[in-house]
Amino acid sequence: MVMGVRTPEQARRHRLAEAMAEAGYKHLVLFGNAWQNDYLRYVADFGILEGEGLALVQSDGSVVLWLDDRLEAERAGVECPDLEVRATNDLIADVSAVIGRLGNARLGFAPHRIMPLGIAGSASPGHDDATALIDRLLMVKAPEELDAIRRAAHLADEGYEVFRNAARIGRKDYELVAETEAFFRANGVDDNFMLIGSGGPELRGMTPPTGRILREGDQVITELTPCVDGYFVQICRTLVLGDPSPAQQGAFDLFHRAMVAGIDAVRPGATAADIARAENDVFRADGLGDFVTSQYTRVRGHGLGLFPDTKPHILEDVETPIEAGMVLIVHPNTYHPDAGYMVLGDSLIVGDDGAEILTRTPRSLFANGGGTAS
Amino acid sequence: MRHGLIQWDEADLSTESVRARQARLQQALVDEGLDGLLIYTNHVRSAAVTWATGFTPYWSDALWLQPTEGAPLFATALSKRVGNWIAATNPTSEIEHSPKPGGLIGARLTRLGAARLGVVELDRMPAGLMAEVVDTCKAELVDATELFAAVRAAPEAVEAQLAVKAAAIADEALASIPALRTCAGDVMQAVELSARLAGAEEVYVAVAPDLSRDTRFARVKGATPLAARFAIRVTLARHGVWIRRIATFARDHDDGTLAKIATWFDTACLDLAPVSGLANKLSETPLPAGLNLTAWFVEAPAVGRPLQIVGEDGQDLVRTYGMANLTLCLSSNDGPVLLGGPLLTKQTL
Repeated sequence: MVMGVRTPEQARRHRLAEAMAEAGYKHLVLFGNAWQNDYLRYVADFGILEGEGLALVQSDGSVVLWLDDRLEAERAGVECPDLEVRATNDLIADVSAVIGRLGNARLGFAPHRIMPLGIAGSASPGHDDATALIDRLLMVKAPEELDAIRRAAHLADEGYEVFRNAARIGRKDYELVAETEAFFRANGVDDNFMLIGSGGPELRGMTPPTGRILREGDQVITELTPCVDGYFVQICRTLVLGDPSPAQQGAFDLFHRAMVAGIDAVRPGATAADIARAENDVFRADGLGDFVTSQYTRVRGHGLGLFPDTKPHILEDVETPIEAGMVLIVHPNTYHPDAGYMVLGDSLIVGDDGAEILTRTPRSLFANGGGTAS
Repeated sequence: MRHGLIQWDEADLSTESVRARQARLQQALVDEGLDGLLIYTNHVRSAAVTWATGFTPYWSDALWLQPTEGAPLFATALSKRVGNWIAATNPTSEIEHSPKPGGLIGARLTRLGAARLGVVELDRMPAGLMAEVVDTCKAELVDATELFAAVRAAPEAVEAQLAVKAAAIADEALASIPALRTCAGDVMQAVELSARLAGAEEVYVAVAPDLSRDTRFARVKGATPLAARFAIRVTLARHGVWIRRIATFARDHDDGTLAKIATWFDTACLDLAPVSGLANKLSETPLPAGLNLTAWFVEAPAVGRPLQIVGEDGQDLVRTYGMANLTLCLSSNDGPVLLGGPLLTKQTL
C-alpha cells in the first residue's frame, strides 16, 4: 500500500469512528449474514457465506467479529488476517455476555429488523437502534469506496458478455448462470446477485433459474450484480434469441428513453422521487402508466455498495435527497403488455455535476446473444 | 443469494413426503400442548423451512407457521411479482406477501385463538419481525428448537437419495478439474461450472492452496498458485440438501497414494453412520498405512443451518441423523490429507 493512501476498509472505519463520536456511541453491535452483510462488512471486511456473525465495534476503532460457523471463522482467519475473529457455538450467549460487561455506556445495534432477538431483547437503558446511523454511511461513500466500485464495474460488463454468449436456443436457463458464475469465480468476484427470466409476453418478472429451455423469439432478461472486494455493481440488459419483433423493438425504445430520462435527473439536490418520476413520466406519456405501479414493478432503481439493493430505493414516494458520493442503478424494469417483462439499467456514481456512468455495455436490445439489433 | 436451479421436482421430493413431515410436526405440537410452530427462513438459515416445505428463498426472508390443524402459512417479504414462482416451488403452503410478514403471522395466530406458540431458535429470531408478531398476537412464545430437531432428525430415504445425488454432482465437479492446474482459478472455475451445469442449487468452492503451509480453506483469488499438494472443498445443495465433499490433490502427478486414500475414505464412510457412538467407531476404523487421524467433525442439518457441527473430537453425536457430513484431517510423512463426504444411515439407502 502506498503510504497515506487508505484502503476502503480503513476509510469506512475512520468514518464510522467519526459518526460514533458525533452520535455519542461508545460501542456498536452489528449483525450480518450472506443475505444482509453490509452492516457487518462495513467494519469487518469478511464476505460471510454460511452461518451468521456479530461484530463489536469500540469507539477506539477496535473490532471483534464472532462467527457461529467454525469453518467460516477459519476462512476469515485466512482472508482477513488482521481481523480479530472468534468462533462460537453459542453466538447469542457469548456476545450477550460481552455486552453485559460493557456497563451503561451508550451502545447501538444495527440492523434492527434482523438483529437476533436474544441480542436486541437484552438491550438495557443506554442501548438503542443505530440502523439509521449506519444506513447514512452505507448510502454516501468515501472516495476510497468509490474507487473500489470503479475498479469492479468492468466485471459487470464482462460478466454480461459471458452471459450473452451463453444464451442460445435449446439451452436451459441455469446453464447461462453456470457459465456466468464460473467466469466470476475465476476472476475474483466474491459473490453475485443474479436473477433471470425468459419468454414472451407471458414473462412477468425475474427469479432464479427454473430449468426452462430457451426458445427462438424468447427475450432473455437478467440483472447481474457481481461483488468485488465487497462492493456490488449491477447491470440489467435484455437480449432476444432470433430477430427482435416490432413489439420487442418498440418496448425497448421506451425502456431506453425512460432510463436516459432517469439518469438525466440524477444530480445532487434532486430526490429519489425525482428520478423515479422522470422514468415513469416516459411510460405515462406512452399511455403505459399502469405498468410503473407496484402491481408490475418493485423499484425504478436503488442504491448499490456493500449490499446489492441498498437505500435509497428509487420510487416516487421516496424523498431521500440525492447526494454526491451515492452509487445508484437506474433501471425502469417492468412488465410491458406487448413484449413481457423487460430490463435495462446502468450503474452510476453521483458526482457534483451529475451521473458518472460505470457500466459500458451498449444500451442495446441484443439479438441471438451476439451483435446488436438496434 | 441462491443462483442455481430451483424447481419443484416431484420425483426428487414429493408433496406427499412434505405433507408427511408437516403431519409429524403437528403431532409433536399436540403432544407438547402448543398451538402452532413458527420458523424463520432466509437463504442462510434455510434448512428448517426447506425440510418442512421443500422451499428455499433465493433472497429476502420469510416466516412459516404450522398450526396444529390445516395447511401452513408462508408469509414473506418477497413481492407478489414472484408469487407464482414461490407457489410453484412451495406447493404445500398458503402464500402471503407483505413488507411486514410478522404482522400476517400475528393476525393469523389471533384468528386461530393461539395461546402457546412454539418458535424454532427463538433467541435467533429477527427482532424486527418478532416485534410485528407480538404487536398483533398475544400468544405465549415457547422455544421449540428441541421439538423440531427431534422430529427433523428421523432418517428418510428421500433425503438420503438427494444427498447421494448432491454427492454425485460434487464428485463429477471434482473430476472436471483439469490435469494442468497451476492456480486456484483453474480449479474453482471448473468445479463451479460443472456443479451448476449439473443442476446444483448452490455451490461454494474453497481451496487450501498449499497444505504444507496451511490446512485452512478459503475463497482465494484466482491467481493464487497451487502448491505440490492442495485440497478443494465443494459445498453444494441439491433441492435443499447440502453436502461437503473434500478432496486432496497432487498438483503435478499423483503416484496413486492420494487416490488410494480417497477410495479408503469412501469405503470407510459406508461402514459409518451419523449415530451416537460414531466417535468410538471412528477411532476403531483402521487407517491406511502411514496415516494418523488428527481431527474430525460431523455436520448435519440439525435445525436452521444447512450444515452445523454436531459431533467432533471429544464430543460424540447426541442423536441419530438421517444424513450428515464427515470431515477428516489426516497426517502423513508427505503432508496433511483432508477428506470429506456424506454419511448416511443405512436404513435410508
